[in-house]
Amino acid sequence: MLTMAQLLAPLHEHRTSEVVVTTMSAARTWGRLSSHPLDLASVDSAMGHGADLALGIALARPDRKVICLNGDGSMLMTLGTLATVVGAVAANYVLVICDNGVFETTGHQAVAGVGWVDHAALAEAAGFRSVHRFEDARAWAEAVPDVLRTPGPTLVHAVLRPGQERAIGRGGAEDPPYLQVSLAESARAVRAALLAGHA
Amino acid sequence: MRKGAGETLRALTVHGITHVVGLPDSISAPLFDSVERHPAIRLVTVTREGEAFAVATGLWIGGASPLVVVQNTGLLESGDALRGTVLRIGAPIPILVTGRGYTRMRAAGVDPAQAPTPELLIRMDVDSAAVLTERTLDAWGLAYRTCESEDDPTEALLDALEGARELAQPVVLVMARELA
Repeated sequence: MLTMAQLLAPLHEHRTSEVVVTTMSAARTWGRLSSHPLDLASVDSAMGHGADLALGIALARPDRKVICLNGDGSMLMTLGTLATVVGAVAANYVLVICDNGVFETTGHQAVAGVGWVDHAALAEAAGFRSVHRFEDARAWAEAVPDVLRTPGPTLVHAVLRPGQERAIGRGGAEDPPYLQVSLAESARAVRAALLAGHA
Repeated sequence: MRKGAGETLRALTVHGITHVVGLPDSISAPLFDSVERHPAIRLVTVTREGEAFAVATGLWIGGASPLVVVQNTGLLESGDALRGTVLRIGAPIPILVTGRGYTRMRAAGVDPAQAPTPELLIRMDVDSAAVLTERTLDAWGLAYRTCESEDDPTEALLDALEGARELAQPVVLVMARELA
């Protein structure tokens, strides 16, 4: 199993001009690694709707990749989005499922179907063009450039060891810059950066 | 192409709509059929209406100009998605809500502004989706207008598109009649 840090560090190392949308336990860790103008945390937003929000950005901007760091519990809330992504032929879309099997920020309650649901298999069955499953940190770190380069839609099923992230919010108690402003303000900043053609 | 859908498409084109996002019903089906063949406006069909609001918000963040099209039943399904994306971000997205049950509600003499009661919600001659639509929009703080049978649907849609742009906030058009 990977830790969240082992998942995100190589992604941060190889990220260039991609939009990155984070959710739940990935949001704070990513925000400590990155302060990129194209980072957006789907925090203080809609339950389970990070993947489809990111899909919308990808459809608006086919010129650049959009990476969504989604939780396994969040993904289960909107599994239909897998079909929507495929139907929309979003070749620039990369969905990373951070599968730790629990609702980490509320105290490690088990996610429905834990141990049975195979997110990589679901993505393959839905018709994702590129599907990967990683449990080993080194294999993931070596694969990141190819994963980002290969045409999608792409799904990465990352099997993670649960961490110790507490409930996440916005405001002064959060140290990542993108969590210190409102969701509306953060979304407008990303929109402005995209409209300005930020590389 | 049916006349109503053609007029609606022209209204969307004039206002620079780039994507139509949603799920069809019998009222909006001609519009979906037309958009699917349109050279410039892209159709994004979702699996559940809540997704439409998240996808549309993402489109807006990316610089596109989406229109959401859902039935009122789907609007009711979309509560948290709508709250947490379009409303929370304040994305000025026009939303076309087709009104299942409005004809029956009118025939039964029920006003859409009437407070729903347990007795009203179980009546066989009244569709509870229609009864709850405008009350729900009020509760969510969404600006809306209703296109009645005597109104021109294309003019009403144009008003909604202009309203979203001028108010810089989401605006709903409840289509309580056929598009054509």
